[in-house]
Amino acid sequence: MNLLPALTAVAGILLVASAAGWLAARALGLDRPAFAAERLVWGVALGVLLLAGVVPACFAVGLRPGWIPFLAGAAGLALLGRAFSARGGETPEAIGSRPPKAPRARPVSVFLDALLVLGVGVYALRCLTEPMWATDFLAIWGGKGKAIFGAGGLPAWLHRMPELGFTHPEYPLGLPFLYASFAFLLGYWDDHATALLFPVFQGATLLFLAAWLRRRGAPRPVPLAAAAALSLVEPLYRAFTTGMGDVPLSFFLLLLGASLVDALDGEPGAVRRLTVAALGAAALKNEGLLAAAAAAVIALAARRTAKAVRWRATAAALVPALSVRALQRLRMGPLPLRDFDFRLLFAPELPIRIGFDLRAIALEALVPGAFGLVLLAMLFGAGRRSIPAARLATFAAILLSAYALLPAFAVLGPDWLVRTAFVRTSVALAPLAATAVVLRLAPLFAESVSGDGSSGSG
Amino acid sequence: MKTRRFVALAAYALLVLVLLLAGGPRPTEVRRRVRLLAHDSSRDLASRRLDGSSAAFDRRFFFFLESARRRLPPDAAGVAVFEPDPQMAAHVLALYHFAPRPVLLAPREEDIPPGWILAVYGNGRPEGWREIARVSDGALYARLP
Repeated sequence: MNLLPALTAVAGILLVASAAGWLAARALGLDRPAFAAERLVWGVALGVLLLAGVVPACFAVGLRPGWIPFLAGAAGLALLGRAFSARGGETPEAIGSRPPKAPRARPVSVFLDALLVLGVGVYALRCLTEPMWATDFLAIWGGKGKAIFGAGGLPAWLHRMPELGFTHPEYPLGLPFLYASFAFLLGYWDDHATALLFPVFQGATLLFLAAWLRRRGAPRPVPLAAAAALSLVEPLYRAFTTGMGDVPLSFFLLLLGASLVDALDGEPGAVRRLTVAALGAAALKNEGLLAAAAAAVIALAARRTAKAVRWRATAAALVPALSVRALQRLRMGPLPLRDFDFRLLFAPELPIRIGFDLRAIALEALVPGAFGLVLLAMLFGAGRRSIPAARLATFAAILLSAYALLPAFAVLGPDWLVRTAFVRTSVALAPLAATAVVLRLAPLFAESVSGDGSSGSG
Repeated sequence: MKTRRFVALAAYALLVLVLLLAGGPRPTEVRRRVRLLAHDSSRDLASRRLDGSSAAFDRRFFFFLESARRRLPPDAAGVAVFEPDPQMAAHVLALYHFAPRPVLLAPREEDIPPGWILAVYGNGRPEGWREIARVSDGALYARLP
């Protein structure tokens, strides 16, 4: 089939799934006008989870995935939203004031809009130029999806052929199930049109970033500026990562971080959002499970938050993430992490390995990215302290520290893992970092508005 | 406060500049991508992959894979691929292309499971196997009974 009709079909499937997700998002406390844009994004997240989830659900009951199970799942999701609708509340920091509009906002916004259009347009072009082609897409994410679609189930070789260990049987199957779902609905495997998912993930990330920050009181051009800059982060949004787990994970990590902050602020529906985000992150990559654990640690350590709220947030982060992994283990048996040997934790050479690891990170990431990292640090330092920003930054910092230490346990040596994965996985934290930075900077620009006496209604 | 705002604005402007210079779109890249998209969008999926990056290491090998896939017996349990220069890119592409069947690249004779087909790229002719189909730049073989 030609590309255009296939793209239209993929877009249609995404639209139907997202519409069901949007209806279900009523259960996430997003039915107030202030949450309208966020609800759209959660609709996409739920729609994607529906698409991915319908495949193993069908396999479990012996059905072939297709339109009837998908539409039944969509209807079920919409009904869940109706049955368990949760009324949203005010965001604590935004109570009493609408986000102000900064002075001279219009020309600045036009410029930022142009940057955003450039970033989004170029990424879409990079994603859609050719069928997805990255080695990890072919060997892992797309390869498994194609095998699941072709076999109409989980072929045993996916986890029983040691010679094919490079396909990483131990990785979560969320993304392969998502690809397979599109193929079951289209009736054929199309690894070109399905790449449309990636600009959609980028768009959803940017929209969520801007909408969530606006709701948190950031003056209008500031979230737009963050979204525009983020759209241009080429190490994340590039042709090579199309088809791999990093871009979808970066989306779910942002949802996870933001809903964690909302949940700890006691927002109605936020605990449910945290559950959805943790589920999505853990279903995508092993880092998602790590993220859920990091969120749980932050929730437990949160000061000025009621104990019951902290425990609810902890459970919301951990239970879905652990459930996803338990289901996979139940189906496929214990599958050790192929790239790592954690017995090295007790080995005498561990300090030497950590030294090699940090040296490799310095050479591969810190030196080439030094200027950009200094600028990011300046932006962070120029802002003001805020508890939500601190929570997001801590969340990102825990994950970054884990990514930095993990190569010390790499079977093929720290250099190898740093070279092949460190930048790619770390840069998936960019949306979280951008959000934390804007939360710190927002008061500066809000003050400039009230100082000039030109505060608008936003 | 003004100093902080100034620092933030300056850092932001420089950061955007760095992002644009380091990874932003180059006119040549955009032109190349638009040209490829325009050329390929009305072609079938296999032709688009043939033109794409995953087949760039050896486009004739992709031709061989596609040709072999079309001639593969439906009951083939897996495929052992032999090519003169076994490399990871070939293994990954073959595994993806023959999915849902598993693929091994240049395995030892005794490691080839029963019911598997040999796909030989080039002129090699394995002993103890009978040719079942000629394909582009190679042939398919089944184990002799």
